[in-house]
Parts: sequence; structure tokens; C-alpha cells
Amino acid sequence: MNVGALVRQPLVVALALIVVLLAFGEWLSPGFAAPQQILRLLIVAALLGIVAAGQNLVILGGREGIDLSVGGVVSLSAIVAGNLMSGADSGIPLAILGCVATGALFGLFNGLGVTLLRIPPLVMTLGMLGVLQGLLVVIRQGIPSGRAAPALSQFVSQPFLLGLPGIIWLWIAIGVVMALLLTRTVFGHRVYAIGSNEHAAYMAGVPVRLIRIAIFVLSGVFAAIAGICLLGYSGSSFANVGEQYMLPSIIAVVFGGTPLSGGKGGYTGTMAGAVLLTILQSILTTVHIDESGRQMVFGATLILLMFFYGRGKAMRA
Amino acid sequence: MSKLKLSGVSKAYGATLALRRGDLEVEAGEVHVLIGSNGSGKSTLCKIAAGSVRPDAGEITLDGRPVHISGPQGARALGIGIFYQELSLAAHRTVEENICLTNLPLKAGLFIDRQALSARAARYIALFDGVAGDGFAADATVGDLRADQRQLVEIMKALATEAPILIFDEPTSALDSAQVERFFDILRGLKAEGRAMVFISHRMDEIFSIGDRVTVIRDGETVATSRIADTDQATVIGQMVGEPPARAAQAAPAASAAEEAAGEPVLSVRGLTGPGYSDISFEVRRGEIVGFGGLHGQGQSSVLRAIFGAHPVSAGEVTLKGERLDARSPRAAILHGAAYVSGDRSRDGIIQGRPIIENLTPIHYLRQRLVLARPAALREKARPAVEALHTRFAGYSHPINSLSGGNQQKIVIARWLIDRPDVLLLDDPTKGVDLSAKNDLFSLIRKLAAEGLGIVLYSSEDAELLANADRILVFNGGQVTRELAGDERTRFNLYRAAYEAA
Repeated sequence: MNVGALVRQPLVVALALIVVLLAFGEWLSPGFAAPQQILRLLIVAALLGIVAAGQNLVILGGREGIDLSVGGVVSLSAIVAGNLMSGADSGIPLAILGCVATGALFGLFNGLGVTLLRIPPLVMTLGMLGVLQGLLVVIRQGIPSGRAAPALSQFVSQPFLLGLPGIIWLWIAIGVVMALLLTRTVFGHRVYAIGSNEHAAYMAGVPVRLIRIAIFVLSGVFAAIAGICLLGYSGSSFANVGEQYMLPSIIAVVFGGTPLSGGKGGYTGTMAGAVLLTILQSILTTVHIDESGRQMVFGATLILLMFFYGRGKAMRA
Repeated sequence: MSKLKLSGVSKAYGATLALRRGDLEVEAGEVHVLIGSNGSGKSTLCKIAAGSVRPDAGEITLDGRPVHISGPQGARALGIGIFYQELSLAAHRTVEENICLTNLPLKAGLFIDRQALSARAARYIALFDGVAGDGFAADATVGDLRADQRQLVEIMKALATEAPILIFDEPTSALDSAQVERFFDILRGLKAEGRAMVFISHRMDEIFSIGDRVTVIRDGETVATSRIADTDQATVIGQMVGEPPARAAQAAPAASAAEEAAGEPVLSVRGLTGPGYSDISFEVRRGEIVGFGGLHGQGQSSVLRAIFGAHPVSAGEVTLKGERLDARSPRAAILHGAAYVSGDRSRDGIIQGRPIIENLTPIHYLRQRLVLARPAALREKARPAVEALHTRFAGYSHPINSLSGGNQQKIVIARWLIDRPDVLLLDDPTKGVDLSAKNDLFSLIRKLAAEGLGIVLYSSEDAELLANADRILVFNGGQVTRELAGDERTRFNLYRAAYEAA
């Protein structure tokens, strides 16, 4: 592969930008790229990366696939987890079960709305986000926010194996599972098939609706898992903790080389995208840009990315 | 002197010559019929006259003066109006708005004059009073109308241009006989006014009932122009076929040796009815290739897709291997042993941008109910199918788009051969496929038949049908109007059956 083709590989671009941003951060504020800091960045990136795994599947599945409700599911999951474990390690299995079921349920609603009712994913998941936000307000008034179990906090922030905390290993495992799922299973090939030519896939006997529903269910499940981890990271849950994940999860996917039109790309690039965005976020914090400023930067980044990657071919075939 | 004359016009799209040498002379006060088989260049010739296609060469004269038609606007300014075969209506607007769309009456040069618009549209709507059918009204939304009613609106829109020269490209394809009769009355009236009209139709009876002269076009060239009174159907068909009647009447060689040895029926269709086709019955035996012929769009594709579960069925039944098949989706049909290959590769066939191996395996996944996709094992499975078609490609992981059209279609066909189907439905499979790939495809198809598959082949190229099908069912207006078997399988008979009244 020549140099020109190499710089057009989104994964290569993302990895190069990671190095550049780390160097820039170190120059801005010495110690930015110290090993402990990098580890902390990776933990934060893992949270985003897990949400982006689901987002990645939804976008790969095409037909304008996007899941705007992931942030709401993350928040809800954190609250459900906090209440089910209420600070005790013994509550963790039930909390995991409860959260995964919650995430799957909302994903199922999204999937049914998109397939059976033919509501565009953008509208369907935006509506679902509204429902979730309302639900969160109601919950916050009636139920205590709940606390993380010690084991969960340890899993997220204390070294577990080879000096890395459990959440990093979880993320790596998810990366391996996603890669196998997409390249070595019939399900994965069918996701790509409906993402690149839904009609041809239908004519070749692919159960298009079933696959699309499964994609949204998985997106809900990944967001729920991220919600549990987020509870472990912050210690206690509060409403709307997950809101910050909606836009970045989409940007991470696009940065990683999966176009919004779907049908091509993969999760490895998305992982690099998640790390990249986390470093960018950290730099913005270092130079004292507040949350609203960060949101503006992220929004602008997505638009810029669409411009950059969209020039080759029109997004809608 | 001719009202409109096109001499030696030609048009190429890339390497495809759509029109080699088109000549057409239309006089004032006549209905001039243009006839030719699918893809002969009729529509291109009309589009050149209407300004929507720019010719590469040739001369156009109007009232004896050479003119340059700069575009659709220019054609309208010169007094040429056209009815388009592909309907060009605004679906969300009303009937009267559509009729006046090309020339909206304005108030103060800015606002639409609704009263003038209604009054003008009403004149044309009144022309079809009594035959337009239920629900047809000036304020009805075009999108809510039936196909025949939309076609009437399109006719009214062409009439409303009040152009001295009117071109009608298959205006009657969706109309019922009363509507056609009324339309012909209107044309006779326009003829009396001295207007010049070009009329394209595939129905011989219509041509001989309304036409004054007929021009036959074949393979992009104008072959002959004659007075309707001086010719007959057999002569016109002979001109379209392009061979002296004696040779065109020769039967194609016995298509397959399996003809006598044909096995038990594998597919049987009884009274199948749905949108675009009605009361279709036929049987396919193992080892047999049954051809679907006729003009393009007479229901052949709809029937094949209906059997495959991809087009609605309202009545009738399909039996596959003695079992009732009510396929509500392609998935169900595939699991019963049916296979379908569409000529519209990019829409129905290939999974764009994905590796060749992923384009080969979807049917295998379904029929074997696989969960894991092991690349090495899948490549082993796919190799015989791919080799049987002499497919050339660099590697299984290369994207399907890196192949030529012919090789892409080979991959699509090969996906059905990993697990043998019982019935292969071919829906114009060689559209846009190069000659050598075509040969490979047809030798494979004959081989599959010899191995006991039942095959249904629809082709828009008559030569393919005549060379490969054991029997040919000729479709006309959504029904099978003629069956040609044995010595009857001649080009002449095929044309005659295709062009006779439905």
C-alpha cells in the first residue's frame, strides 16, 4: 500500500491524530501524557467505546441507521444499577441482569418502531430519548440515586491484570467479540449485507427485519453495560450522566471509518476514534473550555468529518 | 412538404449506439406510427424530436427550414409537444394543475390565475368525459388515481400544449378499450385540424386502426416507411424481424436434447393472478427450459417474482416438487428450493462494496442454517460453483465492484449453485452482460437443465429465447396469449404473438 492510500485509511488517520494530540497536550500541560494520565484517559475512552460498539452496529446496518437514545439508556442503566446494588457487592449480578434487560427492552422498542412501523431511526430514537429523559426526571423525584458497589468501583479504576483495570480488559474483550461477530459470523455478514443493499439482501433470503431489530437490541445492551461501568466510575448515579455520550458515540464511529450510510467499516477504527475523542475532550478541559464549549467543538467535528469523508462519494447512494 | 423531418439522426451513450440512423417524416394532418422492437431506438428518436436528447449527428427540419432544438423548452417554442412513456406527473398536485403544468396561466405575471387554470383544464378533462372512471375529477390528487387515469392526465397534459406537432410515446399501454376508442376519436379530430402526430404503440390492431403511415425502425435504423393502406401486419412484422419471411419462419434448432427425456413436473402454476398479470398457468418439468417471451413489461417479471415471493399474489396456486408453495417472502421460496436471478443486478443482486465471498454465501447461510462463517470452508464450498461459470477474479476478499458486469452476474448466479435449487427463475439475466459472459451463462443453464433442474427463462432478447427455450410462452397484457413449441418457435411467430392485440 502506498503512502497516499495509507493516509486515506481512517484507522491510520485516527492513530496518527492520537499521537499528535497527546504530544500537543504534553506541550500545553507537562504531565498530560504521563502513564497514569494515559491510563485514566483509556478508562474514560472505554466507557465511550462500549456505547459506540452499539452505535457502530446500528450505523453499519444502513437505512439511515443511528441511535440517538444511547445517552438516555446509559443514564437509566446507571440509576437502575445504583438502586439494585445500593452499595453492596452482593447486588451486582442482579444489577447487571436488570440493566441488560432494561437496555434490551428499549432497544427492542427502537427496533420494532424502525422495522414494523417504518419510522426513520433518527425520529424513532430521538422520540425514545425524549421518553427516557422524562422517565429520568420522574425517577429522580421518587427514588434515591443509588451508590456503586465497592467491587464495581474497583473493577473500573483499580489495576486488575498487568496493571490495567478490569474495564480496559472488558473493552478489549468487546473489541475481540465485535471483530469476530462482524467477520466470522453469519449475523455479521448479514449486518453488512442489509447495510449495503437491503433489497438485494432481502432477495437473497436475509431476514432483514429480524437483523435490524437485533442490531437495536444490541445497541441498547451495550449502552446499558456502559451505564453500569459509568456508575462504577463516578461512584453514584445522577440523572443525565449519559447525555454526554450521544454525539461522541456517533463521532467515534465515523472517525473510525464507518460512513453514516452504513455497509462498510468495523469496530477497530471506532475504538481508535473513542480514544481520540477522549484525548480531545481532555485537552479542551485542560485549556478551561467548559461543557458547552466542548459540545460545540464536538458538533463542529462531526460536521467537519462528514465534509472530509463525504467528498469521495455522496452519502446516500 | 413535411411538417417535421428528421434525417440521419444518431445518438450514442458511451459505447452503446442507441440510434444509428433515424429518419422520420411527419406530415400535417396525419397520424404517423413508429414501430420497432424493444431497444430499437424509437424512444430515442422521439426524445430527440422533443429536445430532451441532443443528437450526435443528423438534421432536423420544420416546415422545410433546418432548426436547432436546444432543449425541451426550445421544442415547445417550436410547437412540438410530447407524451412521455415514463409518466412525468407531479404526484402531489391535482389533475388540473398537472394538465396546465407546462404553461401555468398567471395573474400580474406572478400569481397563478386559478380560475383561468380551472377553465383551461376543464376543456381537456371534458374530452374524456364518461370514460375516465370513478374518482377522476379536476381537483383529485394525481397520486391517488389509478394507472390508467394517470395516463389520461398525461395525455391531457400533452394535448393542453396545443402544439402543432404532438408525439405520443406508448400513450395507450394502461388504457382500457373505451378509453383508447375515445383517444382515437380525439386524434381524428386533431388530424382534421391539420395537426401532425407521431404515435408509438405495440398493438397491431391500434396501429392499423388509427395510423395513416407507418415507419419501422430496427436496431437503431429506419427500415421502411409505408402507407397503412398499402401494407399488412405480416409485412410490418417481417420488416421488424429483418429477415425475409421464409428465413424468419425457420424453427430454431431443437434447443435441448432433454426435450423428450424431460422428467416429472417440478413446478406447476395454476391460475396465478396479481398486479400486472392474470390467470397464468404453466408447468415446468425437470430438465426443461421454459421461455417467457413477448414485449417488455407484459407481466413476465411480475410472474417470476410472484412465484419467488417478492410480488403480490391475489389468486391461484404454485406447486413446487408436489408441495404447495405460498411464498410470502423470498426467504420462504428459497427454503423450498426456488432460485431467482434478476437482470437488475445493482438493485436485486449484488451487495455493493462487500467482498466477493460475502456475495456468494447468503443462500448457503440460509439453506444450511449456519451461524458461523468460516472463510476457508466457505471458499471451498463456493469454488465449484464459481469455476462452473468460468468466473475470473483476483481473490475472494476483493470487493464485488472490482468485477465487470458479466462477472458480477456470474457471482450472483453462483450463489445459487452451492446448494442446488430445484427450480431456477431467470428474469432477463443477461441484461447489460458482455457476449462471452452470456455464452458462459447459457451453456451453464443448459447444463443445469440436463442435470435435472426446472428452468424458467424470461429474456428481452428474442435470440436468447429461441436458442435456449424448449417452449416459449408469449406474454401480452399480463396474460399468456400463445405457446410456441417445436417447429413453431420462430422469430416471426414470436413477433406476431407479441404484437397482436391483447
